[in-house]
Amino acid sequence: MKTILQSCALAASLLLSSVSAYAAKDGGTLAFLVQPEPPTLASYVSTSGPIGLVMPKVYEGLFDYDNDGKMIPILAESYDMSGDGKTVTFNLRKGVTWHDGKPFTSADVKFTIMEVLKKVHPRGPNSFREVTSIDTPDAHTAIFNLDNPAPYMMRSFSAYESPMVPKHLLEGQDVKSAPLANNPVGTGPFKFVEWKKGQYIRLDKNENYWQEGLPHLDRIVGRFIPDASTRTAAMENGEVLYAAYNAIPNIDAVRLKERDDIGVTTDGYSMINPMALIEFNTKEGAFVDPAVRRAISTAIDRRFMIDTIFFGYGKPATSALSSNFKATNLHAEMPNYPERGDVAAANAILDKAGFKKDGDGVRMTAVLDLIPYGEDWRRAGEYMKQVMGDIGIKLELRYEDVPTWLKRIYHRYDFAMNINYFYQLPDPVLGVHRHYGTNQIRKGTHFVNSSRYSNPTLDALLDSGSKEPDAAKRTATYKEIQTILANDMPVVNLFELQFLTVYNTKLKGAYGSAMGAYGSFREAYLDE
Amino acid sequence: MTRSSKIFKYVGKRLLQGIPIILAIVVINFFLLNLAEGDAVDVLAGEAGSATPEYMAQLRAKFGLDQPLPVQLMVYLKNVATLDLGYSFRHDMPVSDLIFDRFAATGLLMTSTIILAVGFGVLLGLLAAMRLNTWKDTVITVFALITYATPLFWVGLMMIVVFSLKLGWFPTSGMENVAAFYEGWDRVKDIAVHLVLPTITLSLFYLALYTRMMRASMLEQYGQDYVITARAKGLTERRITFVHVLRNALLPVVTMAGVQVGALIGGSVIVESVFAWPGLGMLAFESLFARDLNLLLGIFMLSSILVIAVNLVVDIIYCFLDPRIEVS
Amino acid sequence: MQEFWGRYKRNRSAVFGLVVIILVVLMAGFADLLYAFDPFRLAGKPLSSPGTNGFLLGSDSLGRDVAAGIVHGAKTSLLIGLVATMVAVFIGVLFGAFSGYYGGRLDDLLMRVTEIFQTIPSFIFAILLVAIMKPSIASIVIAIAVVSWPSVARLVRGEFLALKNREFVQACHTLGMNDLRIMMREILPNCLSPIIVVGSLMVATAILIESGLAFLGLGDPNIMSWGFQIGAGRTMLRSAWWVCTFPGIAILITVLAINLVGEGLNDALNPRLRERN
Repeated sequence: MKTILQSCALAASLLLSSVSAYAAKDGGTLAFLVQPEPPTLASYVSTSGPIGLVMPKVYEGLFDYDNDGKMIPILAESYDMSGDGKTVTFNLRKGVTWHDGKPFTSADVKFTIMEVLKKVHPRGPNSFREVTSIDTPDAHTAIFNLDNPAPYMMRSFSAYESPMVPKHLLEGQDVKSAPLANNPVGTGPFKFVEWKKGQYIRLDKNENYWQEGLPHLDRIVGRFIPDASTRTAAMENGEVLYAAYNAIPNIDAVRLKERDDIGVTTDGYSMINPMALIEFNTKEGAFVDPAVRRAISTAIDRRFMIDTIFFGYGKPATSALSSNFKATNLHAEMPNYPERGDVAAANAILDKAGFKKDGDGVRMTAVLDLIPYGEDWRRAGEYMKQVMGDIGIKLELRYEDVPTWLKRIYHRYDFAMNINYFYQLPDPVLGVHRHYGTNQIRKGTHFVNSSRYSNPTLDALLDSGSKEPDAAKRTATYKEIQTILANDMPVVNLFELQFLTVYNTKLKGAYGSAMGAYGSFREAYLDE
Repeated sequence: MTRSSKIFKYVGKRLLQGIPIILAIVVINFFLLNLAEGDAVDVLAGEAGSATPEYMAQLRAKFGLDQPLPVQLMVYLKNVATLDLGYSFRHDMPVSDLIFDRFAATGLLMTSTIILAVGFGVLLGLLAAMRLNTWKDTVITVFALITYATPLFWVGLMMIVVFSLKLGWFPTSGMENVAAFYEGWDRVKDIAVHLVLPTITLSLFYLALYTRMMRASMLEQYGQDYVITARAKGLTERRITFVHVLRNALLPVVTMAGVQVGALIGGSVIVESVFAWPGLGMLAFESLFARDLNLLLGIFMLSSILVIAVNLVVDIIYCFLDPRIEVS
Repeated sequence: MQEFWGRYKRNRSAVFGLVVIILVVLMAGFADLLYAFDPFRLAGKPLSSPGTNGFLLGSDSLGRDVAAGIVHGAKTSLLIGLVATMVAVFIGVLFGAFSGYYGGRLDDLLMRVTEIFQTIPSFIFAILLVAIMKPSIASIVIAIAVVSWPSVARLVRGEFLALKNREFVQACHTLGMNDLRIMMREILPNCLSPIIVVGSLMVATAILIESGLAFLGLGDPNIMSWGFQIGAGRTMLRSAWWVCTFPGIAILITVLAINLVGEGLNDALNPRLRERN
């Protein structure tokens, strides 16, 4: 009898211990890299990258998205869409409170969408442009009334893209300068505690989080370290456990990958779709002839750029859209985007177009500008100068700081060729249209149609593409769009960037959201 | 008039002169900074990911950036007169708060650097001069030169690799351990441990300056007549060196140290960058590229007050070191 | 002149320094002979370690030849150092001499102007100037000169203050010498030592400031210089050490040599030291 009991006890304890080995451990502080230091914490006003690393742990959205693209209920438990796509009813989660104790209700959702995101958020006015009104029949139901169906809108409810903010702290104030900006109050798993400028941001566990048992971590601290090599050293030393968006330079990531306690992944960026590209001035200067732009696109060795600058992390562009849009059948492969670059063919195009070489082999000269965020783009510019030299285009490089560069490109159009990169986001309407539409030629607004390309046929296609509910028709529309752009090339796409996340293997549970580093870390825990 | 009252009068005069100087500095810096293209609104909008011209115009109106330059200057000067250094629109905080926050960090780093660099520099320079052209002299001189000539970031990074990664004696960066949040004495020890590598890196650099200066100055003094006289009188070499020559040789060293203390705030942008030390140097650098002019002007003004004060102190020290120097 | 050279020769390290400088200058002068192609050219396999794939000192991340860069960059770095220093010393001596000698109102005025330049943290000032003038070799030289002259001025002023009341100066007054002559012929030669020391260190500083500016991203991207190489290679210090270490060594050797020469000049110009030897 005794032995049976003993063996039962033994079996039970073995079972329990094996179960607990897979269960998340509570406690601990996660220190991770935030690079560079964010200018503000108002993620409802700014989509600056570093803000996205920190604030989605404090604010939440209606949904999150897992790695397969499925919607995960966060502040909304479910939604119903009407047949015509013009009415969307969201059933909100009950029992959620803001960090200051007040309850989260549909009034907050209505206020956030109509008064904040549609008015002052950089992408909100576009993402929610079809929403004309929101009804709130009770505290936990929000009904969105749309003018036209907006399939892309359902992809923009993450905490990064559309954070829910407290009406009671913003109502009646100037949203852009309210104190909430640097004293955030959200519903998320972590509460804001302090921001020591130049050092760190500290977030503590929200004891009253709506999900039982979460979060696991006691504290999250985002550290600012300006020097890239020091960031790598901090990672090697275990002083930080997580670094996303290439905070660790690729060359070091490749080296750290060899260690057992450090992992490197390209997951977590599928909602971002970053694309490196060249914006051309199509109205003045050396590159107004599309043949020249096609020649340039033909000469570039995209694979070389990816291998030498990003150490293999990237995919050569094959059209104006990222190949990640294959998932929604919108991407189509196009000519004029060679992987390896063909200098001879490029030279032929230029010869045929009538641009003769002079005695020194030079056909034309121009200045090349490039995005001032990061060292890697300088290498891209230097490569560009060499390869352009091979086809007779003499380039001079120009490095300027951010405000000077922004003014030059987007306020004065005083450029010929500009290397840049953009997020194409989960739907082309959100991140691609802005380069090509005539209505996107808005002098003084950053990061929209700077090439001043204007094609009425394309405009019509862009418009119908954004409204088309039928998937097959949408595919056909975007194929036409890409074909036109492959020929006109006001913007030459270079390659799809693959951002890296470098992490210490003792950090677990931080990888389930498609938002990656822009996620909430609610399930993250430390396992020694 | 006694000497000390003469000095007091001089100090008073210099302090009074200081005020229009600080004013002139503010005005010049203001116009200089405005020569840079673009403004804070451009940077904020660029970082936000997008902004319409209307939004940017609104921001400019709010920040007062749409006023003509002379008006902006008047507003700034008026505020400064009431000791209001203005508001940093980028950080959403008063400039004075931002500066005082970071001043402690800069002060710590630079004070320990100066003590280390001047202390060792004077000692080494003295030693080199006393053992002129022997191997000791050569070793010291070459050592000083090598530490001066090696790029600062390289030294910093090597320090991190050797002492932090390989040996594990010190943390890689930052001013405090952010996972631990120490209080009291523990916090002091924590900060001290973080201070070691940045201080050594920066000191090595300035060491060369003081070593070379001290050595050259000592040699110059040894060649003076009064030394020959002293020797003829039979004084020991030791006495000559430490009682007479040293005092005179310290003059250029004092000047150099004065210049460095005055440059306290610029400090070393590079060391602050490599070690993530939250000082005023990095703050000034970032505010330049963010066109946060109020903040940058505030830092420049603090720097000017410091330099004026230090130059004054140096001039007073001159008088005590060399009675033949008169204050006018 | 013979006497001077004789004295100079006696300091072996100074001679060594001079030899090194001459070699560096020759290397810069014959750059096109040594490496005939553009140093920015993508010459071969990226990140080749020294001695592989035909690269003597290895190649950088785009496949550019590090050795070619050093040889061509020597000219740029030397020029920046020399020109910036000459300008800075010239201005500094002028200010310091007049200020220290005349004293009074002129001293006040000149020193206040110097203070204005000194109060702006020098490295930030250099960065500011380069940012305003857009990064280029010219703007870097101007920026370095502008931040360097105040320390020369203060130093020279200090020396002049100390020397102007000396007996030999008073004797000159009695003899009826005019001020300018006294300043330039009598006092200045006596403070040459610290000026030479400061000047030689300043050439080195100028080269170092240029590399510091490149580190922060403010170099001229169209002209090869050692600073450019260091800036381009700095994130690779742990993985491809040769990319910025060799240019760093080039800077180290050059700076060392310049200073040894300065030392030698100092010893040779200061006749009283003969007794010490």
